[in-house]
Amino acid sequence: MAALDESVRLTPGRTASRATDQPRPRQGSPLRRFWPQYLAVSPFYLLFLVFGLFPIGYSVFLSFQDWDGIGPMRFVGLAQYQFLLSDPRFWNAVGNTFVIWLISTIPMLFLALVLAFLLHQNIRFKGFLRVAYFLPNVTSMVAMAIVFGSIFSDSFGIVNSALAGLGIDQVPWLSSNWGIKVTIAVMVIWRFTGYNAIIYLAGLQAIPTDLYDAAKVDGANGWRIFRSVTVPMLRPVILFTVITSTIGGLSLFTEPQVLLGDTGGVGEAGMTIVLYQYNQAFTKFDFGYGSAIAWALFVIAAVFAIINWRLIRERDGIRGGRKKGASA
Amino acid sequence: MGTLDRRQFLGGLGVMTGAALTASLTGCGSSTSISSDPDELVLWYWNRSVSPTLLGQAAEGIPGSTKRLRADVIGGGYDNKFRTSLAGGAYIPDVAAINSNCSLYFPSEDKFFDLNELGAADHSAGYFDWKWDLGTSPTGRQLFFPLDTGPTGFYYRADVFDEAGLPSDPDDVSAAVADWDAWIELGTELRATADVALMNTAGMVFGQFLNASPERYFDRDNRPLYSEDGSAVREAWEVAIRASEAGITAKLPVPTEQNSAWSSGRTVGHIEAVWWAQILGDTAPDTAGSWRIAHQPGPPGNSGGSFFCIPSTCKDPEAAFAFVTWLNTPENQAATFNEVQLFPSSPEAFTAGEMVSDTGFFGEQDPLEFFAAVAPDVPPTFVSTYEPQAAAFATELTNVEASGKDPEQAWADAVTEADRNLAKRGVI
Repeated sequence: MAALDESVRLTPGRTASRATDQPRPRQGSPLRRFWPQYLAVSPFYLLFLVFGLFPIGYSVFLSFQDWDGIGPMRFVGLAQYQFLLSDPRFWNAVGNTFVIWLISTIPMLFLALVLAFLLHQNIRFKGFLRVAYFLPNVTSMVAMAIVFGSIFSDSFGIVNSALAGLGIDQVPWLSSNWGIKVTIAVMVIWRFTGYNAIIYLAGLQAIPTDLYDAAKVDGANGWRIFRSVTVPMLRPVILFTVITSTIGGLSLFTEPQVLLGDTGGVGEAGMTIVLYQYNQAFTKFDFGYGSAIAWALFVIAAVFAIINWRLIRERDGIRGGRKKGASA
Repeated sequence: MGTLDRRQFLGGLGVMTGAALTASLTGCGSSTSISSDPDELVLWYWNRSVSPTLLGQAAEGIPGSTKRLRADVIGGGYDNKFRTSLAGGAYIPDVAAINSNCSLYFPSEDKFFDLNELGAADHSAGYFDWKWDLGTSPTGRQLFFPLDTGPTGFYYRADVFDEAGLPSDPDDVSAAVADWDAWIELGTELRATADVALMNTAGMVFGQFLNASPERYFDRDNRPLYSEDGSAVREAWEVAIRASEAGITAKLPVPTEQNSAWSSGRTVGHIEAVWWAQILGDTAPDTAGSWRIAHQPGPPGNSGGSFFCIPSTCKDPEAAFAFVTWLNTPENQAATFNEVQLFPSSPEAFTAGEMVSDTGFFGEQDPLEFFAAVAPDVPPTFVSTYEPQAAAFATELTNVEASGKDPEQAWADAVTEADRNLAKRGVI
């Protein structure tokens, strides 16, 4: 489960390390000088040590063992990783995760951007609309899965009834490879579009209005302003949402689990990496293999983190100075 | 980033953490039981797995002992929580309910009392032999004490059968589906005349075939049997495929779809345990009065049913055993049935107490009477610890039904997948 904590860990960890930078220019042992401050931030570290760092370290150890959770452990060396590399079910889960991530993230971020742009305009009921779009993010997942299960039900769902009404062929949403993936992607989009729109909205409000005024004076229309002013000025915020969506996408678990159960649905079409890990560790009680899957996910996530990081660095290198004002 | 400061900081942190951990470990590390009260035994169970009234009585004093019972309801993920406390050696209940997956615990049999040492053998005659066997480990230790059972039968919509010109009286239907071929034939006729399904998926046919089979996936030495010629798993597979190809399954792998199929009448039958009657009543209340239960093809099976165990850390195993045997006397099992509909594991319960059946949903037929009559005929079988590793058979049957995978390819894939998993776990 280490990977799940990734996003939670990142932010506080960074803030705290910045705090340790501050006392550097002063004299005397910082630990002694600032002990009340250290004491004040220590609860997080103690909790992290017990519930974060120890399990992470222990999962490394476990990934070299065969263990059912109670009985004696058996050292198996790299056997779990060897099995993983030749496990078609694992690679199926990796493929599923990326497909669902792609078909959910791209439409979701685009929709969120458009929504944020519209919410930023002078429209009525702005406050109500912002809350309304954010609401799916705080809705109970289990209730949501039941609703989505009914909407996309193969033979009794609203979507298929509508398709039949329009004279279009029905789609086995919950029992075909692409149907399952699209349904999960729609759940993700439904849940996180409003959340990302709110983040974009915050970014939009940081864009100086004189840029818009200048564009209008130059005779730009709405679409041109959106394309040439809004999107470039929002770039750092967009990159941030891409990164958070990547982390969220790679650790996708709840949507397929509540919609399809622990087995990932027909043909394991909805089996994501984290769901497969859960399936192995907590329904088959194969904790060694579950840990190995977790570390494989860590490697995949690390590769993506490096790609993201290079992307940001290179872009900043090209157009550095101008961008900084917007990101601050 | 200041490396020196950071190192010192981490050093200080380490000291502080060490101190805190030492303090907390010495404070509570040594208690293996949940309750420190020597007169209090702690039971773990899940909702509706024990009669609340009887728990109330035991809370005041366990009959036949000087101890009191504290009953803790454990929510979702019961096995994970129970296994965690066993593995950690701390906060272990003194007595616990275990579900029908009790064979999961066989490799860790040293964590439990052999109930025969507490005198369980004297009680064995009072329970169905097949149920008693399910709680015996392959090494012959009695780890689990019978609680409830789930004998199975063939549920069907008598009104639809009648309209289709098929036998609709339970006795006639039982006679008409004496074996699986006859059952498939009846389903084919039903499909032709009324265009409805007899069961929802091939996987269900497969599962219920095995639930009624004396042979399952493994023998008592955990040697896999499925890939042998003429194995029960292969036979169940073939029946399931034939049922599917004859069009008598609705091919609905999604649970919500299945419920809709039963309530809308697209599927007019099911083979499941006694407890399914209640689920059916909740799922399809509009169909009340039109369902009946007949004998399934072959002998009845068992689906579900739980047990009690006494972890080896129990502070008073005699008192815990007294609680378990008292809770499962025929009288108390009958009372438990009336209260939370747990079907008895003791045949005497049917005659000892006044068991009241919730009739009406099955017309004139009394489901209690039906299942009480079939329960003794469930064949004894062996459920291996490693059955979850062979889950691929059910998965592949779904692939055959949902995406038209070639059955022989699916079978080969299932065997490969099961073998791979078992080899990884060091079983084969």
